[in-house]
Amino acid sequence: MFSTNSSFKLVSILLTIIIYLSGCSATNNQKISATDKHAAPEKKLLTAVLPLHNLSGTPVPLEDLRQRIISGFKKQGLNILADHVLERFIVKHRIRYVGGIDEITARDFRYETGADAVLITSVELYNDNPPPKIALTCRLVSTGNNPEILWMDSLGLAGDDSVGILQLSLIEDPRQLLEKAIRQLSISLGEYLAGGSYSKDSQRGIIKFWPKTVYRSPILEPEWKYTVAVVPFLSLSEKRYAGEIIALNFVEQMMNQRKFSVIEPGVVRQLLLQMRIIMDDGISLADAHALFSKLNVDLILAGKIFDYQDYQGTSGKAKVDFSALAIERQSREVVWTCQSHNEGDHGVFFFDWGQINTAHVMASEMVASALETLAE
Amino acid sequence: MIRVIKVANLKKLVVSSLIVFLLGCAPGSSLTYYHDPQMDFAAIRSVAVMPFENLTREPMAGERVRDVFANSLLSTGAVYVIPSGEVSRGIARAGILNPAVPSMEEIGKFAGIIRVDAVIIGTLTEYGEVRSGSASANVISMNVQMIEVQALRIVWTASATKGGISIWDRLFGAGGKPMNDVTMKAVTDVLDKLFI
Repeated sequence: MFSTNSSFKLVSILLTIIIYLSGCSATNNQKISATDKHAAPEKKLLTAVLPLHNLSGTPVPLEDLRQRIISGFKKQGLNILADHVLERFIVKHRIRYVGGIDEITARDFRYETGADAVLITSVELYNDNPPPKIALTCRLVSTGNNPEILWMDSLGLAGDDSVGILQLSLIEDPRQLLEKAIRQLSISLGEYLAGGSYSKDSQRGIIKFWPKTVYRSPILEPEWKYTVAVVPFLSLSEKRYAGEIIALNFVEQMMNQRKFSVIEPGVVRQLLLQMRIIMDDGISLADAHALFSKLNVDLILAGKIFDYQDYQGTSGKAKVDFSALAIERQSREVVWTCQSHNEGDHGVFFFDWGQINTAHVMASEMVASALETLAE
Repeated sequence: MIRVIKVANLKKLVVSSLIVFLLGCAPGSSLTYYHDPQMDFAAIRSVAVMPFENLTREPMAGERVRDVFANSLLSTGAVYVIPSGEVSRGIARAGILNPAVPSMEEIGKFAGIIRVDAVIIGTLTEYGEVRSGSASANVISMNVQMIEVQALRIVWTASATKGGISIWDRLFGAGGKPMNDVTMKAVTDVLDKLFI
């Protein structure tokens, strides 16, 4: 009798230990969540600048661009991880995707290289034919166990954005435009590192950027800060990476509006790959259910992009056409949809005044306006 | 007295000429519809919009118009529209070979899988630019049908044509309205006929 009792105790102790240990080690079973704090760091961040992610669909001098970004950001007080350390890490972990960072890579970055953050840069547009055009998106993502976006900014510039009197302000040299772009991004990053809030001039008050149709379910709480996972949009556009570009736009605008907490897109991508989710015709409720089981988010945002069009030279017009939807965790229903389309010359009558020359700028304004309806 | 009559006639002439002129300026537009008088449309809570049959030369036109239609229908707040990804999953599970023109049997099976009260199918017959001489403008022509899944019968149909070359386009070569605007107009007109 005594031996039965002692063996029962032994088994129960062993079971308790096993449960405790499995609870400690099971990081993969934990739900991924986003925190809404992205305050300025107290110390100088050691940052790994990843190779640039080319979403332009055209050849881009990526390494030259990267070096310029590094030198620009160094001036703002960013401590950059040595290239050979980064290269060794990339080779060791066979990192091929540089458009985002997943949980495991973020953790390894912290413990193997000591980097505090990773700078991810996407080139959305690069056109060196006069007048040159460029569109870049940069984001700083923390390393460690829970990668989160610390800072994110983007810009789209064209050499003929503001030509001035007698075209004195026309930029024809692509390097000059590049310097201008990097200077603007550096200033934005510098403001974040100094603890200030980076803000951009927005034209979202302009009616032409408002979404054409909007549905917002009454179950959405007004003024509530929702945690959101943005999945890549289904691209029906001629531009190859339009789906990723517009998804990045949504992530950035959500970060800027500070009314949402957003999961790092690299984490979402890794989950989609792990779960082998292929969205042939947009996100299904089964896909959403699978994602909700792994992500601690309130909303999943997806959509379709029909047009994301830039143009070369001086004649042409930028064109953007997309629709987006958000699925809510509790109801598993679509709680918000919007449909928006615009052309760069919409509402332009005299001397190209008010014309938008890059799809990126137009998409940013349209997305910001659309998100206003979600966050209201 | 003669002078007064002459002025009155002149006014009538001017007004009627103006009406004729303005009607002449309007681009081509037509709308026909059918509403099942016995159907209680308030009973329809959820709807699936199937991929539209595309009979135009524009390869993505069907998907574009379907997206605008589904979003506009949802934004009315009257019915819940199943997301297109879920519709696609239902089509695959029901094994529908041609989802743009499904049979009633297939619709019944599909509706049972994704649990909807009605299914909307549509056809796009014209989408894009039309030319006449030196003038050009955008035009859309579409028709949609709603099938109630309990009785598997058509309860609502509507067709609309919007856009086309107006007198204004012919005289000044304005090029018509953008395709997206014409599409929105056609979809709005069609949906207006659902909620009469």
